[in-house]
Amino acid sequence: MSIIWDILSDGFFSALAAIGFSAVSNPPRVALKWCGLIAALGHVTRYCLMTFTPAGIVPASLAGALVVGVLAVVIGPRLKCPPETFSYPALLPMIPGIYAYRSMQGFVMALSAASEQEFSHYFYVCQSNFVTCVFVILCMVIGQMIPALVFKRLTYTATKG
Amino acid sequence: MNVTTATTDPALVEQRLRPLCRFLARYASAMLGCGATGERIVKNIRRMAAVADATVDIIILPAHIDVSVTDYQTGCTCQLSRPIDLMPVSYNLNTLLSKLSWKVAERKVSLEDACPMFDRIMRTKPLNKWKVMGVVTLANASFCRLFGGDPAAMLIVAAATCLGYTIKKLMLEGRNGLLFTVLVCAFISAVTASGGYLFSLTTTPDVALGTSVLYLIPGIPYINSVNDLITGHYLCAVGRFLHAAMITACIALGLTATLLIMNLGMVGL
Repeated sequence: MSIIWDILSDGFFSALAAIGFSAVSNPPRVALKWCGLIAALGHVTRYCLMTFTPAGIVPASLAGALVVGVLAVVIGPRLKCPPETFSYPALLPMIPGIYAYRSMQGFVMALSAASEQEFSHYFYVCQSNFVTCVFVILCMVIGQMIPALVFKRLTYTATKG
Repeated sequence: MNVTTATTDPALVEQRLRPLCRFLARYASAMLGCGATGERIVKNIRRMAAVADATVDIIILPAHIDVSVTDYQTGCTCQLSRPIDLMPVSYNLNTLLSKLSWKVAERKVSLEDACPMFDRIMRTKPLNKWKVMGVVTLANASFCRLFGGDPAAMLIVAAATCLGYTIKKLMLEGRNGLLFTVLVCAFISAVTASGGYLFSLTTTPDVALGTSVLYLIPGIPYINSVNDLITGHYLCAVGRFLHAAMITACIALGLTATLLIMNLGMVGL
């Protein structure tokens, strides 16, 4: 029961995050709820892979982004909107903000380190978090782009008619 | 390879090519401003130019766009440079402008009628800014929850986001520079969120502090830049990436200043 609750709450909060951040990019009103739904499914995919399989955050993010990309390419033509309208805001809840923050925190601490050992530790914290953050973002973007490139015609004719 | 000889026919250029070139330059500039990918812009303007028996090439520079229209039959060319429109990302405009390009391509709308339609689309009102502020606040609080923050941390992030976003709106309306605005907002939001540390309000103060500035992250320019890179629009990709990187650097600077001033660096590491 607790597992189902965790999955549902992950989907709910990622949908809320996606709707909020998509509002900043002024989407058509009809797209808002779909951004939330796509984000929820993408984020839940990542959550399940990270929780129930040995997959780390990088491959799990790639899989989540693939789900987002496929759904955006399918829904885009139906609502006569470019798939980016759904896929880009739906990716935002997957941005590894905490890794970015920890790498920044490590950098600041390395700057004010008193000894070589302390510096090495904080610099390692900075590097490892930064590398994870960069790879997660790259995989997210590439993952959502694969369906757009495979179904190129569908992607660029979505607003036709 | 199509080889066209550039000839000069002043009448043709003035009557047909220049208005078309001007319209396509305005269109491309608006599409870039509202956050469309380089590939979509090229496809949309080529689709419309084909209706007028012309071909179009564009060079997307970081702040300008260079449009060159060539007539199929005569090889006459017309070239125009135009600054890229400075506007917030808008997928509504992106959608409406893409639809307009299809209407022109399918000859449901003539190129002459497309100009006033374009102006009408550009006057479309964005979502209400206070409603947007409300949902952004909710979104950032949800973000905090996704990163493992407790309810108190979510409340702190909501307060920090609400304050920071309001100041961002006010500063941008006051014509302050974007980078300076982002720096100030990141600092204010991070200082607000550092209350979680100072007053022990939450068990996850690091999550609250780290999440408090995420509403400022330029996610869409970053994604667009990778998209442009993969589709071969390298200059556009670099321009967008550097713009996003500058904004990120300002966020980092605001956060660093908070960590140093509040002496919070040691916690959680």
